[in-house]
Order: sequence, then C-alpha cells, then structure tokens
Amino acid sequence: MSGRRAEPRDWDWNSPRCRAELDHIFFRQHDYIRANSPEHAEFWTFFERFQRFRAKRELSGSSSSRGRAEPQDGKARNRSGTGGPDLGLPKEYDARYRISVSVCSRDVEDGFGSSGHRRSGGESSGPGREQVSECRLALLHFLDFAQKQSFSKVLKLRREQRNLPIFQYRERLVELVRRNPVVVVAGDTGCGKSTQAPQYLLGSGFSNIACTQPRRIACISLAKRVSFETLNQFGSKVGYQIRFETSRTPSTKLLFLTEGLLLRQIQQDAALSQYQVLIVDEVHERHLHCDFLLGVLRSLIARRPDLRLVLMSATINIKLFSGYFNHAPVLQVPGRLFPIQVIYQPIPPEEQVSKSEKLDPRPYLRVLQGIDQRYPAEERGDLLLFLSGVAEISTIMEACQTYATHTNRWIVLPLHSTLSLTQQDKVFDIAPPGVRKCIISTNIAETSVTIDGVRFVVDSGKVKEMSFDPKAKMQRLQEFWISRASSEQRKGRAGRTGPGVCYRLYAESDYEAFAPYPVPEIHRVALDSLVLQMKSMGLGDPLSFAFIDPPPTSSIQTAVTYLKEQGALEARGELTPIGTLLSQLPVDVVIGKMLVLGSLFSLVEPVLTIAAALSVQSPFLRSAQHNPDCSTARQPLNSDLGDPFTLLNTFNAWVQVKGERGGGSRKWCKRRGLEEQRLYEMANLRRQFKELLRSHGLLETEEPPAPSAQGRTERRERLTERSRLYQLKREHELQDGGRRKVLRLDEGQEEESCSGSDNEGSGSGKKDKNSMGRDVDIQEVKFKLRHNVTKLQEAAYVSADLSSRQLALLRLVLCRGLYPQLALPDEHNSTRKDSEQVFHTRNKQGVMIHPTSVFAIDPEVLHVSENETGEFGADRGESNRHQLLAFVTLLETNKPYVSSCVRVPALQALILVANSVDSNADCTRLVVDGWLELCVSDGEAALRALSSALKLRAEWERLLQAQLGHTGSGSTAGLGFSGPKPGRRELEKLAEGLVRFLVYNEVTYSLRRLTALQTQNLYIGPQLNPELSLPPLFPGMKAEPDPVKGGLRVTSYFTYNCLCDSKDLYSECLRTFWSCPHCDLHMPLTPLERMQHEATCRSAEEQQPEDDPTDDSPQAASTSALTRLYHCDLCNKDLTLTSTQILKHKRQHQP
Amino acid sequence: MDSGEGAVRGVFTCELCELSSPYTFYGQKPPNTRGIVLLEECYGMRDPFSPEKEKFLVLGSKCCLCNKIVCVGTECSLFYTKRFCLPCVREHLHQFPEQIQTELAKKKPTQKS
Ligand SMILES: [Zn+2]
Ligand SMILES: [Zn+2]
Repeated sequence: MSGRRAEPRDWDWNSPRCRAELDHIFFRQHDYIRANSPEHAEFWTFFERFQRFRAKRELSGSSSSRGRAEPQDGKARNRSGTGGPDLGLPKEYDARYRISVSVCSRDVEDGFGSSGHRRSGGESSGPGREQVSECRLALLHFLDFAQKQSFSKVLKLRREQRNLPIFQYRERLVELVRRNPVVVVAGDTGCGKSTQAPQYLLGSGFSNIACTQPRRIACISLAKRVSFETLNQFGSKVGYQIRFETSRTPSTKLLFLTEGLLLRQIQQDAALSQYQVLIVDEVHERHLHCDFLLGVLRSLIARRPDLRLVLMSATINIKLFSGYFNHAPVLQVPGRLFPIQVIYQPIPPEEQVSKSEKLDPRPYLRVLQGIDQRYPAEERGDLLLFLSGVAEISTIMEACQTYATHTNRWIVLPLHSTLSLTQQDKVFDIAPPGVRKCIISTNIAETSVTIDGVRFVVDSGKVKEMSFDPKAKMQRLQEFWISRASSEQRKGRAGRTGPGVCYRLYAESDYEAFAPYPVPEIHRVALDSLVLQMKSMGLGDPLSFAFIDPPPTSSIQTAVTYLKEQGALEARGELTPIGTLLSQLPVDVVIGKMLVLGSLFSLVEPVLTIAAALSVQSPFLRSAQHNPDCSTARQPLNSDLGDPFTLLNTFNAWVQVKGERGGGSRKWCKRRGLEEQRLYEMANLRRQFKELLRSHGLLETEEPPAPSAQGRTERRERLTERSRLYQLKREHELQDGGRRKVLRLDEGQEEESCSGSDNEGSGSGKKDKNSMGRDVDIQEVKFKLRHNVTKLQEAAYVSADLSSRQLALLRLVLCRGLYPQLALPDEHNSTRKDSEQVFHTRNKQGVMIHPTSVFAIDPEVLHVSENETGEFGADRGESNRHQLLAFVTLLETNKPYVSSCVRVPALQALILVANSVDSNADCTRLVVDGWLELCVSDGEAALRALSSALKLRAEWERLLQAQLGHTGSGSTAGLGFSGPKPGRRELEKLAEGLVRFLVYNEVTYSLRRLTALQTQNLYIGPQLNPELSLPPLFPGMKAEPDPVKGGLRVTSYFTYNCLCDSKDLYSECLRTFWSCPHCDLHMPLTPLERMQHEATCRSAEEQQPEDDPTDDSPQAASTSALTRLYHCDLCNKDLTLTSTQILKHKRQHQP
Repeated sequence: MDSGEGAVRGVFTCELCELSSPYTFYGQKPPNTRGIVLLEECYGMRDPFSPEKEKFLVLGSKCCLCNKIVCVGTECSLFYTKRFCLPCVREHLHQFPEQIQTELAKKKPTQKS
C-alpha cells in the first residue's frame, strides 16, 4: 500500500522525527508500550519487517487474491443461507479480523485523525491519516504476534510437563499427601519428581511448602525452573534460600532451601509453624544433615498432625525410609532412561597396580579406541569416565590426551571440585562435529553435576571417600569399591539423552560383591557439629536419639568428649554459654571459638577474615602451584606466621584491588592462581559472621553516620549506584546464562595458565574476552550490591596493618580456637630434607605438612637453631624458641597431612590454653595434656612464667565469661550468668599482659613428646597423707588433692606436684627465701605458696582506686573480698586477714 | 513486584486440549493497561515471560457458537471477528473465507484425534 500512496511531503518512515510523532500518538507515558522501552524498539523493527512484507504481497499481486476472495465470500454467504445459522462473518478476508485486540491511542481519544486534526500545517505536515492507520495496523499485528509468542511458550512448557513420567501420577500424589502425614516418592533420574511434585502440591491448594536439597546450587536452579514452569518467573511465589542468598518474600509459597538451613530454622522454631508441607528431596543420598533432619521431622510430625511430609528418593532402599516413618505409603514412579548396554571389561592382572603406583592407562585407552572403531564419528555422543581421585584423573588424562592429539577425535576434560569454576564449566561446552568430549571425573558427576549428551560411561568402580578415625582424631581419604547403587547411578549417566553404553572395568562377580548402598555420611564423619546442634535443640542424650540408621556409639562419645575439651559442653554434657553460641554459628567448632575469642579483643576484623577463609575451599588453585610465575606473584602474600595469615594477606590485597580497580580483580587473581569465587564467598561469609557476632551482642552495633550534608550526598550517590547495579543484575538474570561455547580441539591441552604474559595481553581472543567480560560484571555487581567496598577496604587496612604485638595476640587467639589441634615438630627436623619434615600430634605420630602450606615451603622458621640451643645445653635441646603448630585439618591421603597451620611459641601457648598442665614439686618439669614434656632448668623462671600464666588465664576466662554472659541471645540467660560487660580498659590490660607474656619469655626449656611408657607412669597418684593443711590462698581457686593424679589441683587445668619424679612429696623442704616484688614480704615459701601469694598480692595492688576511676564497669571484687576469716589453731584466734597476712601470721609461729 | 501479579481468580482449563493455568482476569479489559481493549471476553493472566507487570497474556475464551472454553492455541480455536473452537469452524467451514479453509485443510494430518 505504502508504496503507491503519496506520503506527506516530508514524511519518511525512517526518520527519527517522524517516528517520534507517531510515538506521541501510540507510545505515550501510560500506554501499553512506552516510547524508549525495549518493546518500543522491538515494535519499530517489527514495523520495518511488516512494511516489507506488505510491499512484497502487493507486488506479487495481492489484488488477484482479493479478487478471488470476493466471489468466494459471496458463495459462502449464499450457502450459509441454506445450512445452519449465519455466522455473520465479514465478506472480505482481512488478516486484521483475526486479531482480538484493539488499541485506543491518542488519535482516537482526541478525535485526532478526523479531518480537523491537523495542526497549523506550515511547520510540519505531521503524520497523515494514512500513516496513523498504517502504524495502528502494524501495532495490532505486533501485539498479536507477542501474544502468540508467549502463548506458544506456555504450550511448549505444558507439553514437556505432560511428557514427564511423573505426570501420570499427579492426582495420586496429591491424594496420598492429603490422606497421609508422610509419603515416600520413589523415582529414578528423569522422572521429574524434583520439579513437578512441589508444583502439583502447590497447584492443588497446599501452601507454605518447603523443599530441601542437599546442594545449594540445586536450590537456585530448581527455584528458577519451577517459577518458570509455574509461569511465575517474575514473581516470588517460588523462591530459594541458601546460606548467603534468598529470593524469599512474604508472598513466597514454595521455598527451596538446603537441609542445613531447614535445621537452623528448626533451631529457631521447633514446631516449624511457618510450613504446611515439607518435601525432603534426594533422601537416598544419605547426607549427614538429611539423616538428622529425618530424625527431627519424625518427632515433629507427632506434634504437628497438620504437617505433611514428602520424602523423595531414587529407587534405592525405599523400605528403609517407609519403615522409619511407620510404613508410610510409597509412590513409585518409573524413570525415563534409554536402554544402556553394560560391558564388563575387568582390568587384566598385569595392568593392575598396587596402591603406591600410578594407574595403568591401557584399559582406559582401549575403551577410547574401541569407540573409535565401533561408532562412526558422525554419531554424536560423549564419554564420561569415573575415577577415584585427582591424582588418578591427571594420570589417565595425560594418556588420553596423547591419544586425542594423535587421532583428533577427542577433547579431554577433567572434572573435580578443586578445579577452577571456569575449568569445571568447560564440560558443558560442545565438541565440534566429529569430535567427542572425554570427561574424566570424580564421583562429582555421579549426582552433583549432570552433563547432557553423554553416551558412553567408563566406570573404574572406585571412589575416594572421607572417613573419620576417632582414635587418631584424623580424617582419612581412602579409596573404596563403590556400591551397587553408585554403580547403577554411574551407568545411568549414559542413558539420559539416548541409548548408551557403560563399560565397567571390573568383573560382574565384583559387581555382585559390592555393598548394596554407599555408607551413609553419618557413619563416616566426625559428629562434633551434629552433637552440638542436637544439644542446642534440646534433643536430650544423642545416644538415645532415634536416627534412621544410628551412628556408632563411639562416634557420638568421641564427639561429646571433644566438645567437652573444647569447652562447649560442661562435665555433665550440658551446653556452656560458649557452646550455646557455637551451636548458632554455621561453622566448625574451632572456627567458632576463634570468632568468639577474637571479638573479645579488638581483633575482630582479622579474625572475621581468617574464620571465613578457613571455612571455604582454599582460593589457591593447586594447578598453579607448580607454575613459577604464579609462585612469584604470590610471594608477597605469603606469611611465615602461618597459612591463615597468608589467607588474610590475600583477602586484604584482593579487597584493595577491588576498591581500586573493581572488575580488574579477576586478572589480578588469575595472575596469582587464585579462584576469585572463593574470595567472593569469603566476603559473604565474613559478613554473615559479623552479623552473627553482632546479633549475639559480641560486637558493637555500628552507629549510623551523622546526617551531615556530605553524608546525605554520599547516601544518595550510593542509592543511585545501587539501583544501577540492580538493573545490571536483573539484565543478567534475563540473559538466562548464555549459550554454550563450542570447544576447540586443543582445549584439553591448555593448562590453566596464570602466567601474566599471554593473559594480560590483548591477543587472547575475542570470544573469551566477551564471555569473561560479562561474567566479571555479574560477580562484581553482586559483590558491590552485597558489600560496602569502602567499609571492607577500611577493615582490610586495619587487618593489614597489625603490629607485631597484635599479631602475637592474634596467633594466640587462633591457637586457643584450634586447641587441641596442635602438632610438635620432630626434634630431628633440622637435619632432614625440607620435604621430609615430621610432626607429631597427641594422637598421631609422624604426620607431614601439606605441600600447600607455607611451612612446607619454608620449614626453617620452625627449627630451633644451633646457636639458640648452644649456651646452656644443646644436648638437652634447651631453648626459649620452641614452637608448635596449631592446625585446622589433619587428613590422611597417601600420608597423614596437617594443613592450614599457625606457629606459636610452645611454652607460652601451652600454659595459656592447655586443658591439663601438671608439674613436679619445683615446677621444673611440666607435662601438658599427658603427652608433651617441658623441662626448665631455671626453676625460678619457670615459677614466674607459671604464676603469670595462671593469673592471665583467670582474668581471660573471667572477661570471656562476662562477655558471653552479656550476649543478647536469650538462650544463655537461663544459665544465670549476666554480669557487667567487660570494660575496655580491662580488656586492654589483659591483652597487654598476654602479649608481654608471649613475647618476652626468657625461659629456656626442652620440649619433647613422652613415650608410651612414660605416659603410663606419669603420676604419683592419690596420697594417703596429702598436704591438706595448705590453705586455699588463691581467691577463686581451690587447691585440693587430685584424686587421680595425686598432688594438688590448683585450677581446673593445673595440678601441682603430681608428677612422679617429684623430689619431695612434702614440699616443705623446697621452701626458699623469697622477697615479693610487690610488697615487703620476705620469707621462705614453697613454689605453690609463692605463686599463690603473688597472685593475691598483685591483684590486690590492681584494685587500687587510682587504677581506673573512669572505667564504667568496676570490678566486683573489692578489697574487702580479698580478706577472709582465718582461724589460727596455734593462737586460737579468728582473724580477718588477706592471704599475705595469713602467711605472715603463720610464719610468726614458726621457730 | 508481587502486588502487580493480581490475585488468582481460578484455573483456566481448555476443554479441548486440557491446557490449564491459573488466570487472574476475565473480561475485555486487562488490568493495569490503558488503551487496550480485547474484542472478546477473555481469560488472561500477567505475561509470565515479561518482567513488566502490566503486560498480559490471553489464555483463552468461550467459543461463540458452542460456548466451550477453549485456549487460543491454533490447535484448539481461531479468532475471526469472534472466537470459534475448531470443531465449530469445521462444522461451518463453508462460511469461512478461503484462507481459513486452506489453513484448516493443512492442519488435518497433524491434528490429534
Ligand atoms: Zn486448547
Ligand atoms: Zn465451538
């Protein structure tokens, strides 16, 4: 049409001005489509197409079709008269009759478009009636087109849903859930239970549904998928909640969350009243949290008859779950797997290897060759190869890579959790035509990672699993045969998208001999955190809890003992205040302790970072370790104080880079072989810890900044920035992840390089740059949305700028947190090679330092050098520089390794943190925790050290309890402790004292571990005539005979004179003349008396009012509290005296 | 964001293909839209694929002849000044213009019984 008609003189459809004039008519502020919106741009593109289409139709003779239509219409009309009602359809066909929408635009509203509408014709002729109606027609078609597009998406979605095996069972499922408190849904891969079952329930009127997942990533992807399928993509009816992120709003009706998080919610509200239905997915995986959750829910459904519980499982061991819940009904749903051919190809004996050797790649290569021979390259289908561990993967990968380079038919890719995420992501990319992917994976691809397009599976039948050795207090990563269930799971990976083949590199008889199911996690791991959580949930004795599959009694007992050692449980097994707090922190007990201890001193910022860093996977990529460029770039980050300090430095440096260069941090990380994702996780976790400490009153609430003019501007700027970031984030979410890349043939060969040159240059390829550019943005955007970078930078400055004294204190805090995880360097280490340094823990002799640790690179900082031992007794190994390692993990792989270590001065750290310090009569010999012996030749110095340690510990404990007692959490209130919050001055004083003690120790001593024989004959044992008469001189301390060790128990951790070699049990003869440096006392005293005097004397001195008149929390103990009623038997008088006065008085009676 | 979703008024189910989905409005006027009028009484909802809450999606309506509730899918109904379910179109096929007749003839083989 437009072609023929005369346009107004200056009308040009392509001119922005002309379009703008139409925009004023059709796309106004309140119209359905607004000018400058994305749809608006789409419309004009559509318009151009529409015009071209119409022009073409007109040229190809639409007139003829119209000509034909007329008589036909007429005919139809005629016929309608004879048969059935007249539908009153228009005579002439016009596509616009098929559009069911009409638009009321400005021309219609204003009567615009009628003959009188033209403005003064002179300046602009404006759109004529023709143009307006042409635009309207296009708009109608555009709206119709948009409707059709959306509707066909709905149709497609519904068709896919209907095709899922579980669809046939939806009414049955809803009915079962209505009628039964517990229902088990058993269905294999591809049946659709995880996405559909929650929808069916939601669709049939259930609300407040929670669905747990073992993995965080599944929570997000399921929520995304289900909200899309329920046509609620942009609403929040369906949401997720994981550790750092939630999309939950008050209108969320279906929530995907992790098992751990649901347990935390139960801790807050035991009845879980916020939910009506709980779906526990993947119960067959038997994760620790899941097994525990089932136990908790079993007792909960008895109390909440309205609650509905749905367990979803693969068809594995269904009877166990059904039976545990009073024979709950089972809904069995078939899976949707294509047929899979199983080929047993056991490894011939000559190719089998012993444990210490590298795997023989020949059996694996044969499979690749076989595939190349049997299947034409045009037939697509990738291969997934299961091996037990990372070392095995690199061995086989090397061989396969050689084969791949030779044949050009394979791209070999590794897959395991210690790879960088970018590297892991490659397994989802597509191989070019004629080439197959060969993915060599750990059992991560068995359940956690699902890769489409796999046609061949090679199963080695092996898995490496973590187990806990309670005797050695050690985790162990061991290789096992898999279970039949895992074997089937692996096989199933070949039949997800078409028929497949599974090569099992073991005999069918081996398969028959496999255990039916994998060992549940609860039977394999340390149960410390679990027991702690059970205690805090008031579940009573963990030994009597009705687990679905109870863990070994010894496992629970070990955990209880450990928690007692850690101070989280008191002697009767109840939670201590610190235990209560630890149970709220979603971290290991040792890390939680660090946080609490750090909050006491002004070390919060560095401790938060370290605690976060130790709770996530290491950011240091293993693959970068042998790269000299990376090592050089990392060098300035290393700290010879220990690995936590290297992590601290790394995080701080990263935050600075973030602050200065924003997105440039990715490059910075790459150069140093760092996985940036881990640093993001640290930042998140760090923030969560901070909030937790704050909510427990362990941290001052941040004061809101004064509303200055400058502050207002800043806030406004920040708000603008935030809305910009939100926009970016939203745009990213709409992009839907982006399409998969096609892999290059040499993809597998290229090592994950972090060498600066080629990556920071410009020649690294456009494609890579683009995809990375987008990626950087979203991580960076999320980071900036979540964190105030300026604040983080400030915190980083604080912790990057610690004085040596603060560092000493920080190391002590870490050590006390990590205690009893201590390792002693072997005395002969200085004569050993760097790689052969040996250490001992209390329960395990001969452990190594993990090669990733800074002490593996630089072990000399742990050696006691020759000249230090020289003067006094080199032969006896005496020095004042002995050190211990406090470590985070002890894990046995091929050897037992300690990792994440901090070095601490031995004597000082031990007497400040150990649970048991025993001495002989003159305190020249100390035994710590029954395994470490310290011998001091200078008894005087030993006494001085012990005496100040006792005092410091008492004060530390007092202030810690005060701090904990003060915490806001109501749960500790029941424990009846609520003293005043410790004052700043007191804390500073304590910190000062601790630092002085740590740094200025001049005591020379030898340090060694006791032999088994020595340990057996350590104590003198209870005595018939103990020195009962010794008065309890130390306030708050009861020196009583120790019923087991003998000697005198001075504090809960210090027993005096109980060691067998004591020169004299009755230490009277050890009295020597002594003058107190704090008062005028001068008399013969035993070591114990001396210590006790010193403690009282000094603390009395510190009570002087001149000390701290401004301190807002004055000491509870007044001077009068130091005096006590003393009855002297000799002069038969009741006297009110201080300890010192009592001593003096007693002396009077002596000859 | 949720305030714009509108309350679910019921579940729309096509009587021919059983496609079903909750609907949030019924009538000729999609909520929160200015200047849009539908030429039939429709079951509709917020467009689930658009981030903007006032975008709507028509799910279906009643056949003007047999009153069956049908979806707007081309397998179930067509709009030609009014909504017709396909069975009704077939019954009165001769009254429809040639274009529609040929379209329907093409459709026959793929149509499920
Ligand atoms: Zn339909
Ligand atoms: Zn009909």
